[in-house]
Amino acid sequence: MFRMVAGRLGGLLLTLLLASIVIFSAVLVTGDPISTLAGGAKPTPELIAQIRADYRLDDPVWTRYWLWLTDALHGDFGRSFVYKTDVVSLIGPRFGVTLQLVLLTLAFILVFGVGSGILAATRGRVVDRTVSILTSLGMALPTFVVAILLIWLFAKTLGWFPVFGEGDGFVDRLWHLVLPSVSLAVLFVAYISRITRAALVAQLYSEHVETATVRGIPRGRVFRIHVFRNAAPQILAISGTTVAGLFAASAIAEVAFGIGGVGSLLVEAAARADLPVVQVLSLILVAIFVVLNAVADIIAALIDPSSVAGGVAA
Amino acid sequence: MKRSALAIGALACVTVLALSACAPRDEPNPQSSGEVALVDAQPAGTKPVDEVTWAIVEGEPATLNPAASANLIIPNLCDNLLSLQPDFSIQPGIATTAEFVDPTTFVITLRDDVTFWNGDPVTAEDVAYSLRQSTNPASQWYGAFALVDPDPATGITVTGPNEVTVRFVAPDSAFRDALAGQGSAVMQESFGAAAGGAVGTSDVGLMCTGPFELAPGGWKPGSEIETTANPDYWNGTPLVQKLTYSFVSDGPTLTTALTQGDIDGAINVAPSSRTTFEGDGAGTLTVGHSTASYSFGPATAEGPAADPAIRRALSMAIDRQQFLDTVVSGLGYPQKTIVPEFSFQSLDAAATYQAGYDALAAPAVNIEGAKKLVEESGEDVSRPLVLAVPAGARELQQTAAIIQSAGASIGLNITIDAMQASDFGALFYDPSRRDGVDFVATQGYLETPGVLGYPSLFMLPAAQGGVFNWSEYDNPEVTADLMAARTATDAQSAAESFVAAQEIFAPDMLQITLAGSYQLTYLNKELTGVTTSVAAYGSPWALHLGGK
Repeated sequence: MFRMVAGRLGGLLLTLLLASIVIFSAVLVTGDPISTLAGGAKPTPELIAQIRADYRLDDPVWTRYWLWLTDALHGDFGRSFVYKTDVVSLIGPRFGVTLQLVLLTLAFILVFGVGSGILAATRGRVVDRTVSILTSLGMALPTFVVAILLIWLFAKTLGWFPVFGEGDGFVDRLWHLVLPSVSLAVLFVAYISRITRAALVAQLYSEHVETATVRGIPRGRVFRIHVFRNAAPQILAISGTTVAGLFAASAIAEVAFGIGGVGSLLVEAAARADLPVVQVLSLILVAIFVVLNAVADIIAALIDPSSVAGGVAA
Repeated sequence: MKRSALAIGALACVTVLALSACAPRDEPNPQSSGEVALVDAQPAGTKPVDEVTWAIVEGEPATLNPAASANLIIPNLCDNLLSLQPDFSIQPGIATTAEFVDPTTFVITLRDDVTFWNGDPVTAEDVAYSLRQSTNPASQWYGAFALVDPDPATGITVTGPNEVTVRFVAPDSAFRDALAGQGSAVMQESFGAAAGGAVGTSDVGLMCTGPFELAPGGWKPGSEIETTANPDYWNGTPLVQKLTYSFVSDGPTLTTALTQGDIDGAINVAPSSRTTFEGDGAGTLTVGHSTASYSFGPATAEGPAADPAIRRALSMAIDRQQFLDTVVSGLGYPQKTIVPEFSFQSLDAAATYQAGYDALAAPAVNIEGAKKLVEESGEDVSRPLVLAVPAGARELQQTAAIIQSAGASIGLNITIDAMQASDFGALFYDPSRRDGVDFVATQGYLETPGVLGYPSLFMLPAAQGGVFNWSEYDNPEVTADLMAARTATDAQSAAESFVAAQEIFAPDMLQITLAGSYQLTYLNKELTGVTTSVAAYGSPWALHLGGK
């Protein structure tokens, strides 16, 4: 187990380092930041030269990467070209908002996704078909379309929920985040529901379950011990990547509902060629992805060590 | 002038939704959609209001430093020396008088009762410091100060307890009008000296005299800017206690938030949402005069784009009415040339400017005539012409499609290059980025009254300040007349020189003007009192905002 975690951690750091190199160089070649850095002024050749010197734009990419990396290891991720404040203080408060959005969405996904998957696998044909139709629909609807439908129904027609901003204080925040969370959750609920159903069905018709049933073990106990426990690693693994995907997908819901999270910040920073912000946010997204994957693997291993034993040896 | 700033401010290119335009004030242009009533200022509010949330559709500003940025937040924070009125006329502001006392000496006399937010009185030193900000080439307003004596010892000096004198190397007929803009925004010298280059950032903020105050920490980057009423404002206390700016550049999100009441108001809302804004239960959509217009012009000195005959032909092929109906939802008017009428409505020699404008030919569709022009030009039109627009700017992309189909109708093959904001912005200062680009479509507006801004930038040779004169247009008569207009010592001869220049440059279409658009302001039903003309860019438009 220890070897597995250590191996995972090493791989994680290596992935992050490689990602930082790719992101750093990719972002550098995609846009000319001069117009961003000059603000509203008409850049004269002198001003352009000064900006290039101030921001070391003429240094080789490797030099700039090294400086950026060493600063980053000291907790300094640079200053935003647009806001002229340090990136960490810009991202910090917005990350909290996105995290709350993702957690609420995750709650919806686990309750409705796993819940409907269990129902589809265990409650007969009619329920199975109904869930199948609904999940097909859910997977076909893009997040922004769901957002428009929700705004139209629950905000404009019924007037139950606000449509803009992230709100202040716990209850108000929760209230503001319901519609964005639901619009984000729909696609993933459908996805997780299908994964859950498939994993459970595979277990339900397996030999050891049939044996357990024949031995007269109560149905509920068979389901908990033999079916769900064996299906859980697969569901968990998919959930890990799902949550990582949520951080990326949150941009759509944040823009549609005017929420000041990291997703909308990334969209805006990219449009404005605010390179330091784009770099750090991209790196955070990669980090979340690899960390959650690793965590999902470790948890799966804890639930059922045999499921990953082969993987560690390889 | 703002055309450049807009195009260069990378974000502005993408998110400016509806900078709008004008017609003669008292007689709506008969060709525009007749039922649009133009209002430049709503009746002042009468009831105090605790809090108003205002959307900034251009997105979060990079800075609130008036010397470095033009946005709709600064006018409520920092006063200019002269006060721009909703009808684009100029009244005294922090300066009681500001006049040329001889052709090259301009004397500014200040009120003695104006204080900064921190209670310190405004001194002549503060004003001289503020004006000097605009003499820096990095300033947005550098062009307006180009004729000021560059010697700091004699150029802008304090000459009395409440008096500042500006000396010029040549007379400048455009200077006083420019002082009604942010080029004369008054900032505290000691605050600026302590803050250094950080003035106007979220870390440091500002120290100004305006009706709303920005407290330290009031700007939460990426989130909002919170301002509060200045109880000691020299021109009366605002009715709104807290005015919070939120940044919403997504059109549909803004429309929903406004009509649902989550946001109270916004300037420059999208014309495409007109029906929603005018629908049941919505607030008020006010249409005001503007100097804004849509146009496109040559980006090269070679090939068909640099040939006035080809540009005239393209202009003749474009159906302006179709443009107005599709791009600005009817909320605009045909504009004959690059300088819009509203920009000279309030000038002393307005009648002369108007007569000069009226004498210009109105754009009319003439496909056969256009084809003939293309043929007679002798230009090789087999190669496709490239038209650059910023990606994601809905109105400009529709504009490009209209230009493309107009070109096709007269045998000009036009391809559209939708550029990322930073690349599009780079077109304006990096000549190498214009390689392979024939035309650039833009949208711009003039913030202060005056007619010389655009012509100076687009028609003069580069050495005389024509930084956007990419087709290397050089007509000595136009140059002489424009120079004479700038250095004239009386308003009438300035107007006559300008009109003489316009008579020549207008048909040469250094910019093919497509239409002027109006300023669109949306406000919650309970509120009133906003400046709804383009003057909002240069005056505290929320000073009279309040409950009905």
